[in-house]
Amino acid sequence: MLKLAWRNLIHERTRLIISVGGVALAVLLIVVMNGIFAGGEKQATTYIKNQPAPLWVMQAGVENIHMASSILPADAVERVRSVPGVETAVGILYTGGGVEVGDTLVPSYLFGVDPDASFGGPWSLTKGTAAPAANEIVVDQAFAQRYRLALGDTVSVMGHDLVIAGLSKGTFGIAVNLTFVNKEALAQTLGVPSQSASYILVKPVSGTNLQNLADELRTALPQANVMTQTDFIASERDLIRQTGVDVIRAMSTVAYVIGLLVIGLTIYTATLERSREYGVLKAIGAKNPQLVRVVFTQAFAAAGLGYLLGVGLAYGTSVVVSRLFPDILILINPPQLLREVPALAFITALAALLPVGRVARLDPLVAFRA
Amino acid sequence: MNTPYILEMRQVSKTYGSGHTAVKAVDGVDLLIKPEEIVLVMGPSGSGKTTLLSMAGLLLRPTEGKIWLNGQETTPLTERQLPALRLRSVGFVFQAYNLLGALTARENVGLVMHMAGRNGRSARTRAAELLTMLGLEHRLNHLPADLSGGEKQRVALARALANDPPLILADEPTGNLDSKIGREVMELLCCGLGRDQGRAIVIVTHDHRLRDIADRVLWLEDGRLSDDHRGNLESMASHQIGETTR
Repeated sequence: MLKLAWRNLIHERTRLIISVGGVALAVLLIVVMNGIFAGGEKQATTYIKNQPAPLWVMQAGVENIHMASSILPADAVERVRSVPGVETAVGILYTGGGVEVGDTLVPSYLFGVDPDASFGGPWSLTKGTAAPAANEIVVDQAFAQRYRLALGDTVSVMGHDLVIAGLSKGTFGIAVNLTFVNKEALAQTLGVPSQSASYILVKPVSGTNLQNLADELRTALPQANVMTQTDFIASERDLIRQTGVDVIRAMSTVAYVIGLLVIGLTIYTATLERSREYGVLKAIGAKNPQLVRVVFTQAFAAAGLGYLLGVGLAYGTSVVVSRLFPDILILINPPQLLREVPALAFITALAALLPVGRVARLDPLVAFRA
Repeated sequence: MNTPYILEMRQVSKTYGSGHTAVKAVDGVDLLIKPEEIVLVMGPSGSGKTTLLSMAGLLLRPTEGKIWLNGQETTPLTERQLPALRLRSVGFVFQAYNLLGALTARENVGLVMHMAGRNGRSARTRAAELLTMLGLEHRLNHLPADLSGGEKQRVALARALANDPPLILADEPTGNLDSKIGREVMELLCCGLGRDQGRAIVIVTHDHRLRDIADRVLWLEDGRLSDDHRGNLESMASHQIGETTR
């Protein structure tokens, strides 16, 4: 009977293409949407991940960079440096803002970095310097490419003209646009003391117990929040998920409804067209469960093929999109692909119910109609 | 129950509808079919032939009366039990062949054996043997759409014989075939493979030319069955000849 299901499925090529194609499009939509979101998550945490700082100090009550504002007391960096076990402490200033390119204002995360610090700035450069002087800025190469900018060109930030002194890599995406300016200059623009920091990136002495050091830092700076790099990344990821989860859920629901309708309609039409054959099988001696299995097998085979095609298309799309739009990162991970399987199986079973009901009610006497 | 009959229908009636709209399609029929017997049931359109055949094939329950198939009383059987009995005890040959369009000739025949629990390889081998005996060795892997009407009906015949049922029920088996091909198919059914192993055959037809291959010819009219009614048959035959001449 399984062979019959498979043969019925492939016998009508056009219907098979519509059925498999419809499911594939639904899967493609779901996987790409989730992939864009996962890519956005990765991009949003990229700054924290790429700094060699296992501990982060920030204003009390702050647990993120994204959608957050943090300012620490002017002496905070020095107090952190004085805590035993701290090898390096780098203060950075951070504010959300925009980079003006001509008449266009591009939303951006502005990081004020100390040119003399060993980290805190861009971690990967393609051209120029990673340590901007007072009238300089470092932007991402993909950002520069999109807005036809090059080293030496001028952009404006908060009313100040800045010359592009460096091109960074991996700092531009749909969720983030990281730009780096001189910390002292940014402090002046923001009207805060030059020693101030939004976040302090802490590198401990090798072999230091992180939790103990975090406790020491909390004692030294009772008004501050101290987080490990891992917790800070997780917190940032949670925030991104919270902001996007409704959109993803809505898009996935739409995609699944499309899949449901496509599978349902094609299998129902196929069952209708073959209802006489099912009736004949009943007359000959097939039991309802056997015929129900045939219909379910057809539906699941179509959905399975559609799923595989959809995943393949999603991988292809991620490659093409990353070449055409370097800021869009579509991150497809196998566990996420597997998570879609139960939902698709449920939808397929649901879609097969209508044709199954039809087959179950078929009158075998249809075989005698000429 | 020990019985000399493959099929035994006693006082079987079938009424459609109820009250003043009730129509009695089959009315108190007694039909006894012995092994190796070939019985032709003839009668005008709407006389109840298909209803009678459907009840004989356990596709339709009688309103009254009892049916025994191969010695087993079928009335107490549930709807779930009937398909298995049909599968092993009855082979159907339909006017419209009713082959599965997506399966090859061999697969169409093999499927019913597979449904009856025979394993795939054994079913394939047996299907090929049957089709070869019916002269279709060159058509084993062809889809029904690629076969002629006569070839399709031979595949349908092989399918009916696949599980070695004791009873074959044929509904207008030559209805869609020209006379020469129809004759060939009927000879295969009634004189060749079909009659092996004491199998009985009941054929419902309008085709009076099949009378000479039958052991018995019955006449069904207004739901009532009677023995060979020469006058009716002659009248039917002349009507058919008249149609052909026109």
